[in-house]
Amino acid sequence: MPDPFSAEPRNRLGIASVMARKGIAAAEICAALGARMPDRPLATFIGGRTVVGTGPGTWLVTEEDAAPDFAETLQQVLAGLASVSDQSGGYAVQRLSGPAARTVLQRGAAIDFHPTAFSTGSAATTVIAHIGIIMWQVDEQPTYDVAMFRSYSQSFRHWLNQTVAAL
Amino acid sequence: MSRSPNGGLIDRSKSLSFTFDGTSYSGFEGDTLASALVANDVRLIGRSFKYHRPRGILTAGSEEPNALITLRTGARAEPNTRATVTPLFDGLEATSQNRWPSLRFDAMAVNQLFAPIFVAGFYYKTFMWPAAFWEKLYEPLIRRAAGLGRLSMLPDPDHYDREHGFCDLLVIGGGPAGLAAALTAGRAGLRVILADEDVRPGGRLLAEHLEIDDTPGAAWAELVVAELTALPNVNVLGRTTVFGVYDGCEYAAVERLTDHLAHTYPAQPRQRLWKIVAKRAVLATGAIERPLVFGGNDRPGVMTTSAVSTYVNRFAALPGRRAVVFTASDSGWQTALDLLAAGVSVAAVIDPRETAPIAAEALLKAGADILLGARLCDAIGAPVRKVEVHLADGRRRRIACDLVAMGGGWNPAIGLGSNMGARPIWSDAAQSFLLDQTPPGFVAAGAAAGRLALHEALNDGVTQGAAAAEALGMPALKPRFAASDEPASGRPLWHVLGRGKAFVDFQHDVTDKDIALSAREGFVSIEHFKRYTTLGMATDQGKTSQLNGHALLAAATGKSIAEAGTILSRAPYQPVAIGLLAGPHRETHFRPERHTASHHWAIAQGATFVDAGQWKRAQWFARPGEKDWMETVNREVTMTRNGVGICDVSTLGKIDVHGPDAAALLDRLYINTFSTLSIGKARYGVMLRDDGIVMDDGTTTRLAEDSFFVTTTTVNAARVMQHIDYARHVLWPGLDVQATSVTEQWSTYAVAGPHSRALLAQALPGIDLSNEALPFMAAAKFRWNDAPARIFRLSFSGELAFEVSVPATHGDTLIRHLFEIGRTFDAVPYGTEALGVMRIEKGHLAGNELNGMTTAGDLGMARMMSKKKDFIGRVMAARPGLADLKRPSLVGLIPVDQSKQIRAGAHLLPPDAPRTTAYDQGYVTSACWSPTVGHAIALGLLVDGPNRHGERITVHDPVRGADVQAEVCNPVFVDPEGVRVRA
Repeated sequence: MPDPFSAEPRNRLGIASVMARKGIAAAEICAALGARMPDRPLATFIGGRTVVGTGPGTWLVTEEDAAPDFAETLQQVLAGLASVSDQSGGYAVQRLSGPAARTVLQRGAAIDFHPTAFSTGSAATTVIAHIGIIMWQVDEQPTYDVAMFRSYSQSFRHWLNQTVAAL
Repeated sequence: MSRSPNGGLIDRSKSLSFTFDGTSYSGFEGDTLASALVANDVRLIGRSFKYHRPRGILTAGSEEPNALITLRTGARAEPNTRATVTPLFDGLEATSQNRWPSLRFDAMAVNQLFAPIFVAGFYYKTFMWPAAFWEKLYEPLIRRAAGLGRLSMLPDPDHYDREHGFCDLLVIGGGPAGLAAALTAGRAGLRVILADEDVRPGGRLLAEHLEIDDTPGAAWAELVVAELTALPNVNVLGRTTVFGVYDGCEYAAVERLTDHLAHTYPAQPRQRLWKIVAKRAVLATGAIERPLVFGGNDRPGVMTTSAVSTYVNRFAALPGRRAVVFTASDSGWQTALDLLAAGVSVAAVIDPRETAPIAAEALLKAGADILLGARLCDAIGAPVRKVEVHLADGRRRRIACDLVAMGGGWNPAIGLGSNMGARPIWSDAAQSFLLDQTPPGFVAAGAAAGRLALHEALNDGVTQGAAAAEALGMPALKPRFAASDEPASGRPLWHVLGRGKAFVDFQHDVTDKDIALSAREGFVSIEHFKRYTTLGMATDQGKTSQLNGHALLAAATGKSIAEAGTILSRAPYQPVAIGLLAGPHRETHFRPERHTASHHWAIAQGATFVDAGQWKRAQWFARPGEKDWMETVNREVTMTRNGVGICDVSTLGKIDVHGPDAAALLDRLYINTFSTLSIGKARYGVMLRDDGIVMDDGTTTRLAEDSFFVTTTTVNAARVMQHIDYARHVLWPGLDVQATSVTEQWSTYAVAGPHSRALLAQALPGIDLSNEALPFMAAAKFRWNDAPARIFRLSFSGELAFEVSVPATHGDTLIRHLFEIGRTFDAVPYGTEALGVMRIEKGHLAGNELNGMTTAGDLGMARMMSKKKDFIGRVMAARPGLADLKRPSLVGLIPVDQSKQIRAGAHLLPPDAPRTTAYDQGYVTSACWSPTVGHAIALGLLVDGPNRHGERITVHDPVRGADVQAEVCNPVFVDPEGVRVRA
């Protein structure tokens, strides 16, 4: 039986924010990147790469075991199409998984996590414990990735510990 | 003991012991504290608020105004807890309130003798004069007498959880209507949340002898709850009170998780705050029975008829031996029958109406007098011993009894429905106020909608449940329930003239006379009346008193009740603990903290931290033996200026501004020009608000033709980001420019001092740090430990200095590396205080100067304002008041007597001028003791300042000390030629 709940930091993750240049359609960026660029709060997965829609023409791109120059490479690939900012150090990503993960998140974010409303590939930019987060559902276990600005990690952890202890 | 040998929803095999005022009693699983006290013949529970009258238990529900006790002891003691909704647990400790020295003998009861002066408006009239008495005498006196229970004054040891609920239908209340609505909608597949405040749903079905589909009511409720619980789309929340309705179909509720338990484990939350977003909601909160207003109606032993039925039927607890029932509604007659069935003798049933609603043979046979067209005018004794009745024929009669059950009729419990501001309107049919306009998607059902009879309530629940399903396009089958139509009418009786005090608001001790007084004194608007008499303003929000009060006011002013109107109810509908609303956000976790990558390293270095917004920044790094922070800061400054110091400046805001039009946008944001900046160079910039006042400053580096790296002050980081987004989204959507906050991406360390270049040459081998390769205000990219890194030749300290940036994931490694190498150079960590001293020594600006009141001209940057381009704030900055050359402008200040201190905030006045506002010429913005020049220095804003260097001025500080004479000077105290930064 899997653990009812586990929380693991996702280290060695390449992270970049990508913003389309004026008049560039998502399809053009999509063609250059080889990943579907969602036009809504959705996450798409291709290999170790995840693309999360965070706003109109704006995405957060993460890559597992990324090379240190991940963002620079991305910038070259998207030259003229999009602006790229390295956020590999900016965000800390926590992976929450297990049957209780849905309840844990439901106690943090004012987002409907019912499977009919939020399932694999759903994403949201919201707030947990007064901390801004970007989060997306990875699978139906369920597994969620929660990205927050790195400086908030300890405060987020405090909320998580209290909430999990109260399960 | 007054417990029936059988019956009731209590588990006689589970005996629970508890104490009340130190005396031990026992009850059963399933009891409330109130029912257990009833069963133990405890009739005196507390003393009233103003007159300290002895009070018992009035109701059996959450509307209780009298039976308020302090539950538990120590830090967990909770005052003003309603005994009627406190589930009994083993070891429960309860204490009575508002009495001294004891409940039975209370010294303050003497207030009753002075009742004629303690009327409504007493405080307003009495404590008026002399004014000086207010602070010293009146207020402490009032405060001592006010309030009921006392707080423990200890930190709350409990945890409070939070959850967000989403549903198609929220059903508020689990009585017959609520259960029917939830079942109908749940079977149709809707996502349903059913919130019921009781320990078990059922509402009146638990308290009355009712049958549905030939099943006893309580058993029927249990079956329905079992079915609902089994449905995956239904969430049944017991012990949960919905206490507020808000915009956007949001509801707040409290789920009581451990309040009914004797013991909890340490992390177990006591209560959970629910924020529920519901497409639709059914208000099935039932109705609250009105007391009758007659003399002595507050005496222990006088209860509502529904309370009597509840104690007798649900708890098998007998509140008396010989009862008198005084009722103006049909339900009271059922109470009389309930009493008979439980073996309590009924002396009389008194009804002001002329005919009995039921055949009264059983009552007559049992010896009860049926007194129609009669009124009970006084209850006598505490606890009650007898009553005086005004008979239909005008005679008076006394009847001995130890229990009075009074029933004035039913008020639909519609409080939540007016949370959003719609005033309920009077219904002649229901003889009560009902919801007219409701919050979106919100509808009342059953007794809450004035449909009191059981079968009506069930049908109404079904109808509303089905309506919710149909609104969502989901067909619903409407279950049919067979239930009898019990008599449920009545004719309100608002007032009976008696000899004793007749209470309307029990918790706030408001009597019929107070209401008459309010009307006489002109407080005739329903809202003025409420505030003048305080009726309905106690913690029970007047659930039992509101309508009686409004009816009496209407009578006193010659209006109909419909004309007099009623008040609105505000959230919380029931009292909630403040800890519930705070959740985990208390003490040091009141708000989140932000830590830089060097945080743990800084802790290990003994840093003292200071708050900068949410950031924790190292303020200084004290060493053993240093006697105060001044000594520490002086050392940090001196070691930096003479050697090398390192400071974490990661908290500064950082924004990537990218795109072909990035330079064009920056030209419009800043007063100076960035389009002319060459790649690999940084420039200091100042931006204004729309109104021409300085908003923020910082350096911006051009990393590529279409790529700028903007920095902001720490506190303005989010504001500048918003400002940039506003400019590119709203002001100039045509520009092709993108912006992203990268504050958190980079850990940045300022390495400052004459030895900084040598230190970095060793720490970052392979980078050319020479003046030729990296002159002042230049920047370069490099790689460090494989990661992208940047170095900037910038200086806030005025020394030869570099800022090194690496991804925050490498920040901890870099700080340790820098100090490892720095050992050879005796490198010193310095905090924000030393940073501040060094920037004042250099006349650099910070938040004290960028204070939201200063113009670029005030701060000596008038010439930076480009005349060749437009920028935000340009036009407004040219307003005569802002462009006035005589405005207070930036100067330096040095005390004439160099042993003196200057303090920030002090005012600047001509030496001979009177110390009055009329002669005020400016103020000190920043001040410190400078270890570099060896005396105090300060920056200030002085009228015509730049033209007054060399003048003497008085620094006037009436708050913290005597005046200091100072000399006005150039605001750059150290290296005014700027030689060091270019070293």
